Amino acid sequence: MTTAAPADHHTTEAPRRNILLRPGFLRAAWMSVLFFGIGAGIMVVVRYLEGWEPLWKGDVITTVSLTMVPLGFLAGIGVFDYWVSYAIGRPTKPDDHSSHGAYSWKDYFKVNTDHKVIGVQYLGTNLFFLLAGGLVALIMRAELARPGMQYVDPQTYNGLFSVHAALLIFLVIVPAFAGLANYVLPLMIGAPDMAFPRLNALSFWLLPMGGTIMLASLVVPGGPFATGWTGYAPLAVHQPLGQVFFNMGVQWAGASSIMTALNFLVTIITMRAPGMTFWRMPLLVWANFTTSLLVVLATPFIAGSQFFVMFDRVMHTNFFNVSEGGYTLAYQHIFWFYSHPAVYIMVLPGFGIISEVISIHSRKPVFGYRLMAMSLLAILVLGFSVWAHHMFVAGMAPWLRVPMMVTTLLIAVPTGIKVFSWLATMWEGKLHFTTPMLFVLGFLSMFLLGGLSGIYLGSVPIDIHASDTYFVVAHIHYVLFGGALFTIFAGVYHWFPKMTGRMYNEKLGKLHFWLTFIGFNCTFLPMHLIGLQGMPRRVADYAPAFANWNMFISISSFALGASTIVFLYNVVVSWRFGERAPGNPWNALTIEWLVSSPPPVFNFDEIPQVVGGPYEYGVPGARHAILAPAREPVPEEVPAG
Amino acid sequence: MRRGAIVQLLVLGLLAAGFATAVALLFDWLPEPASRQAGRIDFLYWLATGISIFVFAVVTAVMIYSIVHFRVRPGDDTDGPPIHGNTRLEIAWTLIPTLLVIVIGVASAIVLSQNSNAGSNPLIVKVTAQQFSWQFAYPHNGNVRSAVLRLPLNRTVELQMETRDVIHSFWVPEFAQKQDVVPGLVTTLVITPDRIGTYPVICTELCGLGHAVMRSEAIVMSAAGFEAWVKGNASAVSGGGAAAGKAVFAAQGCGACHTFKPAGATGKVGPGLDSLFKDAQLAGLSVPDFIRQSIVDPNAYVSPGFPKNVMPGNFGSSVPKSQLDALVNYLIPPTTKVVSP
Repeated sequence: MTTAAPADHHTTEAPRRNILLRPGFLRAAWMSVLFFGIGAGIMVVVRYLEGWEPLWKGDVITTVSLTMVPLGFLAGIGVFDYWVSYAIGRPTKPDDHSSHGAYSWKDYFKVNTDHKVIGVQYLGTNLFFLLAGGLVALIMRAELARPGMQYVDPQTYNGLFSVHAALLIFLVIVPAFAGLANYVLPLMIGAPDMAFPRLNALSFWLLPMGGTIMLASLVVPGGPFATGWTGYAPLAVHQPLGQVFFNMGVQWAGASSIMTALNFLVTIITMRAPGMTFWRMPLLVWANFTTSLLVVLATPFIAGSQFFVMFDRVMHTNFFNVSEGGYTLAYQHIFWFYSHPAVYIMVLPGFGIISEVISIHSRKPVFGYRLMAMSLLAILVLGFSVWAHHMFVAGMAPWLRVPMMVTTLLIAVPTGIKVFSWLATMWEGKLHFTTPMLFVLGFLSMFLLGGLSGIYLGSVPIDIHASDTYFVVAHIHYVLFGGALFTIFAGVYHWFPKMTGRMYNEKLGKLHFWLTFIGFNCTFLPMHLIGLQGMPRRVADYAPAFANWNMFISISSFALGASTIVFLYNVVVSWRFGERAPGNPWNALTIEWLVSSPPPVFNFDEIPQVVGGPYEYGVPGARHAILAPAREPVPEEVPAG
Repeated sequence: MRRGAIVQLLVLGLLAAGFATAVALLFDWLPEPASRQAGRIDFLYWLATGISIFVFAVVTAVMIYSIVHFRVRPGDDTDGPPIHGNTRLEIAWTLIPTLLVIVIGVASAIVLSQNSNAGSNPLIVKVTAQQFSWQFAYPHNGNVRSAVLRLPLNRTVELQMETRDVIHSFWVPEFAQKQDVVPGLVTTLVITPDRIGTYPVICTELCGLGHAVMRSEAIVMSAAGFEAWVKGNASAVSGGGAAAGKAVFAAQGCGACHTFKPAGATGKVGPGLDSLFKDAQLAGLSVPDFIRQSIVDPNAYVSPGFPKNVMPGNFGSSVPKSQLDALVNYLIPPTTKVVSP
């Protein structure tokens, strides 16, 4: 790759093809229509042959379209082009880098194989869905501000909290970590890119398919899917058409997740720079290694659970239909066998980010590095043996409760090890209270509270009282918002200079943190109280006794929502006008900071040589890796941030 | 570590613990228990709270101490000391949390086994859940039915619960007991009420658009009062007339979804029942026929603005004919004859 002339990177494949045939949104548009036609055509023919009336049935066509239209879009946008060319015998160039690197903002809207561009594409998509999902939550809070029904009807309300949760989980938290790791991880291990760059591009483009489908359910006749993000059968089997949008949206997002995880695993195992042994890997790499194992093993289960529900609906199978021999609780077992590990999928990469940020901004090695890595593995193993703690009141075999409670409580041990080790990392350090460090401290205190409320929920008798109440809503937001989302903010601020080549505005960053921190606590802390006192979750209306607290929570939630404007402004303005960032603004040791900001298209001119641990702060003369001196930078080769 | 640091950490820890204790004591976090099970859960709750306050105090003290003392001085570019770990400390913070969770695990297991023990002679109540109402039957008390759960004081009750459609969940916050009701299973829940009063029965498993209003009441009464109610109720249903219709209306939980002034029902999920004459005209049926059809086959005609498939279609088979007749009579508007042309 070093032999290719810089100009080649984006001009090799620019033949004057007809604009309708060039990969892009135009081709995606007509191919979506074409694939819709193919799907609808097959359905009409099948219905004709079977003699079913009417031939054109909206529900059926829509269900099939949720597979066909995204496929058409993906084919049109061009993610399959290389493989199609290869399959039909056209000449292909295996080390073709024509779709590598971003040279203008437009390149972020095209299929790109550069892990750094894909990382930014991920984060942009996540931000969009964070705003969409957040706005949905604010509509909910407006409705809940007073008892009784004011703005929406009950079915719509049920749809709002379902869409909110599905978007925030499947389109924001899970993939935002994939986006951050996409950008940072290959750099951290000294690799020129991910192991499978074209697969990486495909994984990204699957994601907006899933998100668009879930959002689109808001305008479907009968309303959006309204069974919560858990979509329990048999309720989900007999819902309006919107439910299928959840069943299928999860498939696209899940496929994206699985492919990325495979990519990470192969990248981490095979593409580490010379000298980078497993015990020299930064903890972020360890965290993503563990998470990817979880994703690969667990995600197929949720895919299966959603297919079963959809088959019960459209093909009249009877997985969950009791009167025909189905078993209702099977859904919950299969669903939680994914969705409990998913909790760790949504927080372990965050643990990795915390370890990086806290060490660098405290100027000290991570305390107990090996135990930190091993506790990740312990969580991985234990994480697969606790799923039924979501089902303590579900009517499953009673003997299962105590063993699942024991494993659940035991997870507090490796998690505790991590929290105490982070505290010990700060001890006697030189703490720089930058924005990422503030989010780390916010994370530590909020995740602590989320962990403590987890002890209550882990104890079966208390859970029997607290399950399905606002106490659970509070708990999940303390671990996923105060926990996971705070680590994402920490990561975005920490690597913002690396990604954009610009410094963010520190004052605005701190303002964002404090508004978020205060707004978050005012919104979610009172939910513990009203939950234990008797307010169930997922209700559009509630007892008047809870009116005052709900009004307070609603007002706080609007303040919390407004804090996002500060973040948006900071990102946009800093990216455009911010002070130019040096290669290593934090004076860090890990490899991503040894290259320019933003890094060259192929990351390294020479493969780095790893010579020591990643966190040797305070050790005189210690280095993690050595880079051969970079060549003179060629101006055209610097990507447009 | 210097002695000054230890003293400061202790003070910070005590302050944090004091703050957390105040928060725990100032609010009524749990409803006042009304069952023996809730009393035991109260104990567990305070055990977990004690452990939580301890952990919270330790972490907060260390964090605040670090923020105050290890803040970098302006212009200081140096690193902290290269401390990589401390095996003793790491063993300590592995073992102590393990010990704490074992304590709470063992206590929870004991409470769980006590709370699920119905004893030798529980009062059996059959609970039937459906979208969006509760129904309670007393098989050992003349099979009396009620839409409100009435329980005698200090007698252990075993609820045997079934659902006619999707998953529901039975919860009374003051009893602190909750159990899902699952298609195809009979789930059980043990309650020993120990305080007289009226408490909400809440469905806590999302069950469709009327989930938020799927509510009833649990009334704990003296043993004598309960016996009297059983006797009085049994005669009302079989007595015929408006009293029987009203009893069936209550027993079947119609008021959860429908507004009906004579019964004091204010449900908003389904159409109101005070203007049945108009609806019958729209459906093109006589009022009694329309009422009967709407109960037995609710999808045959659905009032404009309301979705299909919400009202259960099985009342025709689950309600005895005599009670159905009483219910239809009860619902016929008294003004029908006056208004009809």
